[in-house]
Amino acid sequence: MKRDRLLSLLSPILLLGAWEAAVALGWLNRIFYPPPSQVSVTLVELAASGQLLRDVTVSMVRVGLGFALGGIPAVALGLLMGISPAARALLRPIAAAIYPIPKIALLPLIIVVLGIGERSMVATIAVSVFFLVVLNVAASVMQVDGRYFEVARSFGGGRGALFWTVALPGSLPGIMASIKLGMGFALTLIVGVEFVGADEGIGHLIWQSYEIYAIDRMIAGLIAVALVGWLVTLLLDELEYALVPWAVASDQKAKGKLRRGATSDERPPEGRSGRSSTFGIWFRAVRPWSFTASAIPVLLGAAIAAVDGRLDLGLLALTLLGAMFIHAGTNLVNDYFDARSGLDALQTIGIGGAIQRGELTPRQVLAGGVAGFAIGSAIGLYLASVAGPFIFWIGLASVLVGFFYTAGPFALAYVGLGELAVFLFMGPVMVVGSYFVQARAVTPEVALASLPVGFLVAAILHANNLRDLEIDRRAGKRTLAARLGRSGARLEYTLLIGATYLSLVLAVALGAAPWLTLVCLLTLPLALRLVRIAATEIEPAALHPVLRQTAQLHLRFGALLVGAWAAAWALTRLA
Amino acid sequence: MPEPKITIENLRVTYTGRGAPVEALDGLSLEIADGELACIVGPSGCGKTTLLRVLAGLEHSTSGSAVVRAADPARPTVGVVFQGAGIFPWMTVEQNVGYGLRLRGVPARERREIVRRWVAEIGLERFAGAYPAQLSGGMQQRVGLARAFAYDPEVLLMDEPFGALDAQTRVILQQTLLRQWEGNARTVVFVTHSIEEAITLGDRVYVMSARPGRILASFAVPFERPRDAAALRAEPAFSELYGAIWEVLRDEVERARVAEMA
Repeated sequence: MKRDRLLSLLSPILLLGAWEAAVALGWLNRIFYPPPSQVSVTLVELAASGQLLRDVTVSMVRVGLGFALGGIPAVALGLLMGISPAARALLRPIAAAIYPIPKIALLPLIIVVLGIGERSMVATIAVSVFFLVVLNVAASVMQVDGRYFEVARSFGGGRGALFWTVALPGSLPGIMASIKLGMGFALTLIVGVEFVGADEGIGHLIWQSYEIYAIDRMIAGLIAVALVGWLVTLLLDELEYALVPWAVASDQKAKGKLRRGATSDERPPEGRSGRSSTFGIWFRAVRPWSFTASAIPVLLGAAIAAVDGRLDLGLLALTLLGAMFIHAGTNLVNDYFDARSGLDALQTIGIGGAIQRGELTPRQVLAGGVAGFAIGSAIGLYLASVAGPFIFWIGLASVLVGFFYTAGPFALAYVGLGELAVFLFMGPVMVVGSYFVQARAVTPEVALASLPVGFLVAAILHANNLRDLEIDRRAGKRTLAARLGRSGARLEYTLLIGATYLSLVLAVALGAAPWLTLVCLLTLPLALRLVRIAATEIEPAALHPVLRQTAQLHLRFGALLVGAWAAAWALTRLA
Repeated sequence: MPEPKITIENLRVTYTGRGAPVEALDGLSLEIADGELACIVGPSGCGKTTLLRVLAGLEHSTSGSAVVRAADPARPTVGVVFQGAGIFPWMTVEQNVGYGLRLRGVPARERREIVRRWVAEIGLERFAGAYPAQLSGGMQQRVGLARAFAYDPEVLLMDEPFGALDAQTRVILQQTLLRQWEGNARTVVFVTHSIEEAITLGDRVYVMSARPGRILASFAVPFERPRDAAALRAEPAFSELYGAIWEVLRDEVERARVAEMA
């Protein structure tokens, strides 16, 4: 109700106003209780100087690492404990004994073992997350109704089926809840952990501000922490919706949120469009799942730089963020121009944009796209100021290419230059740019090592064009696939996939990449299968899986590639 | 006489847990012919569900035997429709219906076709991508039915599948089952509390005793097929048969109640 919303806005405003007045009237000491006006000025200063961003990034990296190191084994072990009475009997006593110990109290012990510094901070988070999550996951598994296991058995399910089709999906809501719990806990913990022995990070900022009695800075830091926590919660909620849509559906039903009549035989359920949170709509509109296509090149550039001895995590985070915003802007702008030209309406498969779904108006999408470009450019400018003008030119080119990808009479995607643009700008350009941000230099070896990623992302685009060959041709969109015709387009797809693996091997052979990267060859079976399907199928419905799986291939290949470089870096550190 | 599809000889099932052992089934013997729709009625706790579980391979017998004769190696021998549907909340209607086929390794394209057909058969095409939480109880039960039918077993075991539904939905689903079964005869063992339902659906009705369960009597149902579930009730032979079955059952229900109170 509008009145309620007004009231909820009113109370914090009144509180802040009272605080401001109290200080102005001298009732509260300005030093101990800096007024909101002063705090907001300090907050803006901290943000503008990049200090806040750096600190938050550093803290979040620690949280992320700790969460991964603790959470992943916890989920695995928790699952094991859930399904195996023997594992349960073995592990539960230990877990239950350590669980009640406040993990921050373990910090001194961990410092003794690992010394003060990054490792002990990450380890504390990892340990806390582990014990919290492992028991909760085990409980989630055991809560799965036994009847479902019987159903599976009655259909001839063996132990594998019992796990993959019952135990795991059944416990996923509980696992997600445990993850949210663990994440919240980790966020709380990082601030405390950084009080001791950190020289950067948001907790350090807060503590240091206390030590120099800059209370306004301290509060600014607290606000930053709160904001981050809120954002993380939102993200996890969306993740939960993506992973366990069915649990959210039943949740909504229980809370009476589904409209009356929605579950009767007459009306089909509302599905995703029933969730009308603004954040959710925008989140989906930017197609976040495509961000891996820009995240991987950035990570790759940084990994290569790391092997060459130059790695700055803060800059890496900023580069990722900037790339993400530009990518989001590109997606939104493409949506806008495609809707304008009526192209999206012709498509019957694949993800329609937010405009097509009626969730946002075209103007909103265009504005969002421009905003994305603006924020990405701002970050890019900062990076250029740190690393050099080269970044400025790369960033400018990326924005222009992103904008004119589907815009105007010479839209790159529709004159046949789409694959080239994507190959360059989501391949070598992005990798080299990321490398440059780290190492302030460009070498041909980096470009060579980046080729596989470029070819693969061009293959994704090409698979899209292959699927839509007929539609594009009819609509006058002269993509490369439409120009080459069916057999030519098939050949091009095969060539792109082939070039991916060839360039990978070439890079290793010429010494531009470590031999560890050959692990990417593990993805070859999937690639070959896709080539075969692309060469034989015609129907868009049959080619859609090729598109989806080429994207998957890109992700797997990219992840393996980055992982291999990271492993090479780890090896140089240990040597 | 042709070989029976299901042969149960002197089946005894005893649960040993905390406290005294419980005899669920005591020397139960039964023969069910191929293609017969056999309905089993009995008082609560008589062991009807235990019998089905033994046939489904979910329960071990203490002694005696229960054999389902497998005739077609390409088809699964037994499929179950559970009380309360038991459809997986984390799978959509389509995924649930195709579950048994997926476990059997039926290739995706064929599976999609079969699933599409059965989803249409139960009238849930518009809900094909919905999750069970978004469906009513009757719709969920329909999905459970479709899942078992899509699996295409030689023998279908049904454990009070329509018990939790309102009367109208019940009649509709009975009609659905009849239509399916009469179109493609397979052996069905249908367990129910309701004599009415047993007569409406079955070729034969078997009456089970109170615990420990054994078969007390069996009745042949005289009605021709195809049957109209709603119209059947008006037939005089219906109430005669009802009365005869109830005669046998009534004593058992009483005995079961007394035993529970003891």
